Amino acid sequence: MALPLLDGMNGGSPTSWAQSPSEDELPKRMLVSYFAYGAYMPHGSTGIPSTSKPHHDWSWWPCNTPGPLTFNKSSAPFEPLKNQISYLRGLDHKGGWSMGGHSSGDVFGTGADMTELEKTNNISIDQMAANTHGQRTRYASLVLGTEGGTGSYGSSKTLSHRGPGRPIPSMHKPQEIFNGMFTPYAGKGIEQVRSGLKREASILDLMMEHSQSFSHQLGRKDQRKVDEYLESIRALEKRVERTSQWTHQPLPKVDTKGLNLEVSHKDPKEYIRCMYDLVYLAFQTDSTRFATLMLESEQSSDSELWNYATYTLGYKGATHDIAHKRPEDYSGQWDRWRAEQHAYFLNRLRETPEGNGNMLDRTIVLWGSAHPHASHSTRNYPIHIAGGNHLGLRHGNLHAFEGERKVPLSNLFVSMLNAVDVPVEKFADSTGPMTEILG
Amino acid sequence: MHRFLIHVHSLTVLVILLLWLVATQAAAQTRVTQNIKGDSLARSFFTQHCSKCHDESTRKGDVLLTEIGASELPTGFALAQETAELYEQILSVLESGEMPPEDQPDPDEESITHVRNWLESRLQASVDQESEKISMPTTRRLTNFEYQNTIRDLLGFQLNLIDDLPKDPVTAYRFNNTSEMMRLGPEQIARYLTTGRRAMEAAIVDPELPEKHNWKAEWKPHGLDRGLGGDELGVWGNRRNTPSTGMGVRSIPNNGEYRIRMQASAILPPGIKELPLRLVMGFTLNVNSATQQMEPVGTVRLRNTPDNPQVFEFRGRIENHPVQLGKIRNGVRQPDTMVITPQNLYNDGTLNDGNRNVAMPRAVINWIDFEAPITDVWPPVHHQRILFESPLQEQDPPAYIHSVLKRFLSRAYRRPPTDDEVDSFVRIYNRLLPDLENQEAAIRETLAMVLISPQFLYHSTGAGDGKWRTYEFASRLSYFLWGSMPDDELMELAANGKLHENEIVAQQVSRMLSDPRAGNFVENFTMQWLSLAKLKTVPINRSLFPRFLYYVSAGERAGTEVPYRPTIRDHMQQETIGFVQHLIQQNHSVTNLVDSDFAFLNQPLAAHYGIEGVQGDQFQIVPVQADQQLGGLLTHGSILLANGTGSAPHPVYRAVWLREAILGDEVPAPPADVPALSESVGESSENAPGIKGLLEEHRQKESCKDCHARLDPWGIPFERYNATGRYQPNVPKAGVRVSGFRKQTHSDMVGYRAYLDSINTESVDASAKLPNGETVHNLSDLKVHLLKKRKLDIAENILRRLMGYALGRELDWRDRFEVKRLMEKSQQFEFRLRDMIILICQSPTLQQNN
Repeated sequence: MALPLLDGMNGGSPTSWAQSPSEDELPKRMLVSYFAYGAYMPHGSTGIPSTSKPHHDWSWWPCNTPGPLTFNKSSAPFEPLKNQISYLRGLDHKGGWSMGGHSSGDVFGTGADMTELEKTNNISIDQMAANTHGQRTRYASLVLGTEGGTGSYGSSKTLSHRGPGRPIPSMHKPQEIFNGMFTPYAGKGIEQVRSGLKREASILDLMMEHSQSFSHQLGRKDQRKVDEYLESIRALEKRVERTSQWTHQPLPKVDTKGLNLEVSHKDPKEYIRCMYDLVYLAFQTDSTRFATLMLESEQSSDSELWNYATYTLGYKGATHDIAHKRPEDYSGQWDRWRAEQHAYFLNRLRETPEGNGNMLDRTIVLWGSAHPHASHSTRNYPIHIAGGNHLGLRHGNLHAFEGERKVPLSNLFVSMLNAVDVPVEKFADSTGPMTEILG
Repeated sequence: MHRFLIHVHSLTVLVILLLWLVATQAAAQTRVTQNIKGDSLARSFFTQHCSKCHDESTRKGDVLLTEIGASELPTGFALAQETAELYEQILSVLESGEMPPEDQPDPDEESITHVRNWLESRLQASVDQESEKISMPTTRRLTNFEYQNTIRDLLGFQLNLIDDLPKDPVTAYRFNNTSEMMRLGPEQIARYLTTGRRAMEAAIVDPELPEKHNWKAEWKPHGLDRGLGGDELGVWGNRRNTPSTGMGVRSIPNNGEYRIRMQASAILPPGIKELPLRLVMGFTLNVNSATQQMEPVGTVRLRNTPDNPQVFEFRGRIENHPVQLGKIRNGVRQPDTMVITPQNLYNDGTLNDGNRNVAMPRAVINWIDFEAPITDVWPPVHHQRILFESPLQEQDPPAYIHSVLKRFLSRAYRRPPTDDEVDSFVRIYNRLLPDLENQEAAIRETLAMVLISPQFLYHSTGAGDGKWRTYEFASRLSYFLWGSMPDDELMELAANGKLHENEIVAQQVSRMLSDPRAGNFVENFTMQWLSLAKLKTVPINRSLFPRFLYYVSAGERAGTEVPYRPTIRDHMQQETIGFVQHLIQQNHSVTNLVDSDFAFLNQPLAAHYGIEGVQGDQFQIVPVQADQQLGGLLTHGSILLANGTGSAPHPVYRAVWLREAILGDEVPAPPADVPALSESVGESSENAPGIKGLLEEHRQKESCKDCHARLDPWGIPFERYNATGRYQPNVPKAGVRVSGFRKQTHSDMVGYRAYLDSINTESVDASAKLPNGETVHNLSDLKVHLLKKRKLDIAENILRRLMGYALGRELDWRDRFEVKRLMEKSQQFEFRLRDMIILICQSPTLQQNN
């Protein structure tokens, strides 16, 4: 399928900050990304290396001792980014503790207490940010995943949730994501688009009226369903309104050089990079500032994700099982492969100048999983945070939050939100901000 | 007024109930030891057998049983919801014998019976007191599967829309058609709007005749090459300029029905009766790209020889086939294109033996002719179904639109629409008409809005103060047995109020199960019930099973799996679904699920299992002998492969499958913090037999013991079926290095078997001690055990699954008594499946007669 020719496809730099705005006016962004089935940590179920043995070459953790980062084989792709990244050890979401290792991914972006209170999950960090600043961009947020959809309890296919019981389906088809983001008018003239939107708004209004009558037809027990529906229509109305307002802003010029949208899961590297590219383009054109990307999802035994390791490493087995293999053969190689893809994205951001720095300086990128290696433990996630140097983040270290120093992962979320100007003091089970990297 | 009274009444009940609760809570807190008129026998049972683990301090499984039987419920009041659920839970573990655990003293039968009766009587008393004797399913949206089928029946033709919708959630061994699973958000509605517009674009045409697209290709027999003519098509495909590369369709309409005609015949070697020839259309199959996409057009089975060529006709919707977008040349976009490719699907199980074109049946294709859209009748029937002929069209256009909308709504809403509802859409139509180019466009957009209205998207229950109850029942039947909307006959019966009569229900269910749409039900039900989807993605270890996948034998793509050809996995899935469908249609007993004296096979699958004498690609009933190791679902490749690692069997997966899908137990997921089973499971066949030992080791660990002691014995008896679902009683000796597979000598069936025999020297130990103490030595023993000891559990599980699927909710404690009643009735019919389905449909629970 040929790429539709966009206006000014080969055009130069984006226009939105061409008049060199002050640093304060530049966007502040955030990406949360997730990988499944843990990472190799040769230290049993705790995931915490012992201080008596030399550090393992293929551990997901780059080094043993908290402090300045040194790199091993698994983390080597990040070495050139040393001053833009931090590794955080000993963090997790308490709310996912009893969910089982392959299910705790559900709460990675939310920290919801799924043990007792919130079977239906809760608002995720990106949506929290989008609620405050989403109106500044054409799209409030961008929700991507490799499998698409919402998944279900215990096997979520998305990181983003509007609130309890309202997961946002992730998008996983690159062409569709691209078209939705950059050619939303599908070749129509702007006047035509506006009158179409106006019509759509009035029809949705009539639909709203029509649906009210439905709510009277149902029993009390069903009102929740009705509300869910009405809220959805209302959200669509808002979206139409918003789209209409944004027709007065020119569509961004997108540099699609090197972008390959015709990718499939049969070629995981191309596919993953394409998804990263789309996040990059969304940020670079300031189409949105908040994104989530479920790079792999847990419980993917009925999708091609199950075969990722086979396609990339020639491993003869399911991707899930690779975490249980010897590192130099597979599990370490697999971690390194994932690190390469993530470093590719970080490098793209870093290589793009912005203000008196680069895009990475103004983008906070969280990367991790909801359980360590080879056990179904739900403690001590592998957590890696990058960028945001101009938003106050300090990097270059491994921090250990173990024993006495244990704090909830949500503390990091509070700091991430504060760094992008969302003035919260608490998120999920947080006990304060994470001063080790911010403030 | 009426509603108000009910409200007051329920409030009073609530207050009294609360007072009672407060009283019992207080009693519990102050540890009052005196017996408040409880059941002393039940109480001592719980103290004696349960309180060791389920007391305040241990609280195993978060279940607390110290207070049960302590206080008698005041007569005339229902149990609190949680208490009722707890009672139900206790009953089910007592019934299955799961509790008390093996290592605890066995209670005597008599006291178990007493406790069971006591608990049941409490629940029964509770149900009697409730105003809601049956739990009402809450409103839920259509699943994607139901949505697609409903649009098909609403419009009268098949449109593939599912790919454009966000995927529905899936949970292993559970049905996704429940209210909790079927949530809705703005993204979904936005997608529904897009697909609704697509559907209407296809259904309603513009008045003027559209431009026709007509393409034809011919092939001549000249240019013999390696014995194959230029118009011939071998199993492996051949080369350029023969039918194997297909024909280009150089332009296509955006919408409409197409017709493909083809003149073809077959060259059949002696002893072979037919050749299955399939056409696929979409992107070309001839490029080395991962994005190629195809949709099947249809399959014919050629029995006629080249001296008697015949013309075959296929029809379908062009919208369902993926296009290749036109290239841009000199700034002008060229038309979109497609390719039609014929495929010779003959497969006797020896395709991997090497390219022997002339020994295999060949198709001769003289020409293929493509035409779209078909305008024999214009406007098409599906258009006239909505915009019907009427004198009103000219005389009174507003009245005409009103009647068009009313008719469409009565079908889309699966009940008569109210006047208000019709008026709403009249208003929408009137708002649209001046803005859009013509009446057709305005109707399209209006009806697309109908397709996002809640009355279309939701299964409503209890709507309209019960006046639509019969229509709701018609829908419940049709979404159960067809996964789609009711047809005219059901709607008429609903309108006459006759649908609730038992006789009529029995008639209708039989009619519906004989309809092809029942195939949708069986497929959707079976895939979820048996958790089959993962069958397609288990990565098969190619060095261990070099013959399992069919690979391209030569050329640029040599060594990759042949794309867009039915694989053994597809056949396995079809075997399982077809088997279940056969049992239902022939009204066979549930026991066949465990063991049957027949299998449902086609030739390639029979060859995989090592069964001889099955011909053709179509599935057929094949009688099996005991020594062939087939029979029932338990030996289906689909289940064995899906619950393996692709290299080795996986007894834990298989045990979970057996207990969840067949016995109906709920197997808890491994808890957080359990160490993985092993570093080496599934690494190679050398290690495969070691898994039993590994599990034994695993069971030694305290944290794993409880669950695995109850789990593993159910999986071990499957060990003689390998990761590809074949019976394999021998494996290589543990730890011994085996000689590798050599393509030159081992690739054909004979050589391969000789190779396997040479390396597989050790008999697999498949014996296990079941939780009840009985030892089984292999799968046959296990089947005998299941049929002898667990028949009622299995039947009840199937009954519960079918009923839960039909209701769109999980069964709860209120359903216990209806399930019991249905079980008794069903037992009189020897648990025959179709009878069971009829009984379920006649049940007041399904009909919602409280």
